[in-house]
Amino acid sequence: MLDPYILQQLAIGLSLGMIYALMAIGFTLIFGVLNVVNFAHGEVYTIGAFAGLMAISAFGPPLLVVLFIALAAGALAGFGLERLAFRPFRRFSDEASLKSRAMREATLMSSLAMSIIAREAMEMIFGSQFQTVDLAYLINKPIHIGPITIVNGDLIILGVTLVMLGGLQWLLKKSPIGLSIRAVSNNALGAKYCGINTDRTIIITFVIGSAMGALAGILVGLYYGAIFPSMGFTPGIKAFVAMVMGGLSSVPGAVISAIILGLSESLSTSFMPSVWSDMVAYAFLLLTLIFFPQGLFGARRERV
Amino acid sequence: MTPILELDHLTRAFGGLKAVDDVTTQVNQGELFGLIGPNGAGKTTLFNLISGFTPPSSGEVRFKGEVITGLSAHKIAHKGMSRTFQNLRVFPNMTVFDNISVGALGMIGVGPMSSLFGGKARAKEISERSYEMLERVGLADHADDLAANLSYGKRKYLEIARALAMKPELLILDEPAAGMNDSETTELAQFITGLNKEGLTIMLVEHDMGLVMGICERLVVLASGRKIADDVPAVVRQDPGVLEAYLGGDEG
Repeated sequence: MLDPYILQQLAIGLSLGMIYALMAIGFTLIFGVLNVVNFAHGEVYTIGAFAGLMAISAFGPPLLVVLFIALAAGALAGFGLERLAFRPFRRFSDEASLKSRAMREATLMSSLAMSIIAREAMEMIFGSQFQTVDLAYLINKPIHIGPITIVNGDLIILGVTLVMLGGLQWLLKKSPIGLSIRAVSNNALGAKYCGINTDRTIIITFVIGSAMGALAGILVGLYYGAIFPSMGFTPGIKAFVAMVMGGLSSVPGAVISAIILGLSESLSTSFMPSVWSDMVAYAFLLLTLIFFPQGLFGARRERV
Repeated sequence: MTPILELDHLTRAFGGLKAVDDVTTQVNQGELFGLIGPNGAGKTTLFNLISGFTPPSSGEVRFKGEVITGLSAHKIAHKGMSRTFQNLRVFPNMTVFDNISVGALGMIGVGPMSSLFGGKARAKEISERSYEMLERVGLADHADDLAANLSYGKRKYLEIARALAMKPELLILDEPAAGMNDSETTELAQFITGLNKEGLTIMLVEHDMGLVMGICERLVVLASGRKIADDVPAVVRQDPGVLEAYLGGDEG
């Protein structure tokens, strides 16, 4: 029988991992279609949290509606982000420039710029301190299961994430738009000559990835009751690590890595101070880059 | 004979170099047409001008009587022109079946909403079309294999099947025989002729004379970006300008 404390940590770690997974998917999908890292992904997460918060303070809708508002805000943010920070650099349609180093570097700077602008704007509007969240919306009601205590947020996060992952899997494997996303990830030019509108596919990819990131933001905001403009930074880094561990453009790889990361962080608090738990992610990143430069699951996994 | 594709004084300059220099010709409905030329003659550039990859410096391209210069590649594909690539562009990490489905999907064309809530009828149409094409090129047994695991020759056929899934009116094959041995080339020649007999207009872009001379009804020869011959193979074969371009003045 496992020690109850360990079980407790595993439950918390699973929630954490699921949140990282939701965020990592956005990174992974976008890396798949464009070979670039979207550095504004953390801010999309924050935008999701703030959109939910504003909905709550404006008209107090049911939790499910709050989650949908966050999703919609994320989708909108993803659309705008692609238009402002990525599309302007895609002037040539040949593959050499579509996935070139120059593109990577240019969009790295532009997405970073967008992230700074978004964060500063939120600080100007809302201030940099924690926002108060209506207590009725917090998802931290304790639930006792045998010797351990979890909160209803753990179940909600688990449920919502599983629904999103299932939906994404269906979308990618069964729907026409998923087929286009996979085709563009595999070979953008080939897809274009098959009559696929690559620009539109890229936008849709941003919309889907950002919606999921924003959902993660509102879930965490309500789980901890802490919503503030720079809240997206740390989870952004964790999700980035999960993406690298998973092999950059593999959705299943990123999800599994995110869960491993969440569980490890949570368990690490049993033998080291909790403020140090962020080190786990950095250690994983270093170890992955040194020993598994293709990701933990190898390079030949199916992309997206 | 009605032309399906017309090239009207097409020129493409890169700096001072004219990769394609004032080329005018046409491809007729139902024709098996060949575009040949030695390395660096401008075949690929001309091809890219036709398929919407690069805009021309001057001149225009008409497809089914409609000007298509400046349209983006996927729109030209929707109009019924599909192509294969010299260095293959299959989707390596997708199954053979999914690869072909992309072609069928591109042909049907989807709006942003209908792509999400596509409806069963269209999904069925896509999958039926895809299986039909798989049968056609003899890859039905490999439907669930990853494209990356196919042999080079099979991947070539996969790409052709993907292009055919788009129900093209004009199929452009970019050096399909590259990297194939003689028996494979013969088989490919039969396959291409078969497609053409069914009424499909085909344009073959080739570096190698063998295949083209054997099956094409009409040939255009490019050298240094210019059209130096435009006739049936028997005449082109005897053309002193063509011989010189291919073999070099001194040795020829």
